Amino acid sequence: MALKGGGGGFSRKSRASSEIPTSSLADIAFLLLIFFMVTTTFRKEKKREIQWPKAQATKKVDSKRKNILHIWLTKQGTVWINDQNVPFDQIAGVVRPIYAGNRQLVVEVRADRDVPYHEINTITQQLQAAGAVRVVFGTRLAQRVSRPRR
Amino acid sequence: MPLLNRRERVSDEIPTASLADIAFLLLIFFLTTTVFNEERGLPIVLPEKSKEQAVAAKNIIFFLVQPDGRVQVKRGQSEETQTVTADQVSGIMRQELAANANIIAAIKTDPNAPYRDMIHVLDGVKEAGAERISLQMLGED
Repeated sequence: MALKGGGGGFSRKSRASSEIPTSSLADIAFLLLIFFMVTTTFRKEKKREIQWPKAQATKKVDSKRKNILHIWLTKQGTVWINDQNVPFDQIAGVVRPIYAGNRQLVVEVRADRDVPYHEINTITQQLQAAGAVRVVFGTRLAQRVSRPRR
Repeated sequence: MPLLNRRERVSDEIPTASLADIAFLLLIFFLTTTVFNEERGLPIVLPEKSKEQAVAAKNIIFFLVQPDGRVQVKRGQSEETQTVTADQVSGIMRQELAANANIIAAIKTDPNAPYRDMIHVLDGVKEAGAERISLQMLGED
């Protein structure tokens, strides 16, 4: 104990704060919070219950979210566009004004994997009639253990 | 004077020690409740109405998707078909593309075939790197 009392250097050292400065932590947290709040966009559309078809060639759609229109087709054969139930023969009538308002429109067909193909065919024909020719078939990436031989 | 002494001990600063905790709590709440919509799929461009073009038969390979999931491959004019599984499509398409870069993959699906089988074939064709793809329905010409 005598050693500690005698040394002048020891007393100078202890003057430095041993605490981590936390006063700016709140600022950092709020900054991040505000960033995430501002960049988050909410889509009003309700998700429909579908079983996604699987595909290995699944790609991300490189289009802005506002340029993407979803057409949901459930297993029961009901079509939903912007939360509205649309009969098959009126899809073109619904999509045409949307496409007219946004020429960059990409239509994503989100169909259940078990629907018969003629329903998909009707949708693509209706989209052709509406002029919206850029289509994406919504899929999920297939997980396969081994790659097929080339 | 003991009363006055006690009064002066109350801090005149707003307690900011818990502010960081509150902010991080909110931050984590927003981070976990945010769902990023993932737009993923197989892109394709449909032909525009009244812009159908005639294509030489030798440049077409047909994939006929049957309701039971089998795929029949038909090349150009030849009438003979070869029955394969959907998994073999990508290999076949790769060979065809190597032989003829202008080849068009026409996927003709039976009206009652499930959508997943058509996607399976489209996936194979896309994986092989084909750019020119046509979607049709069987029994509709």
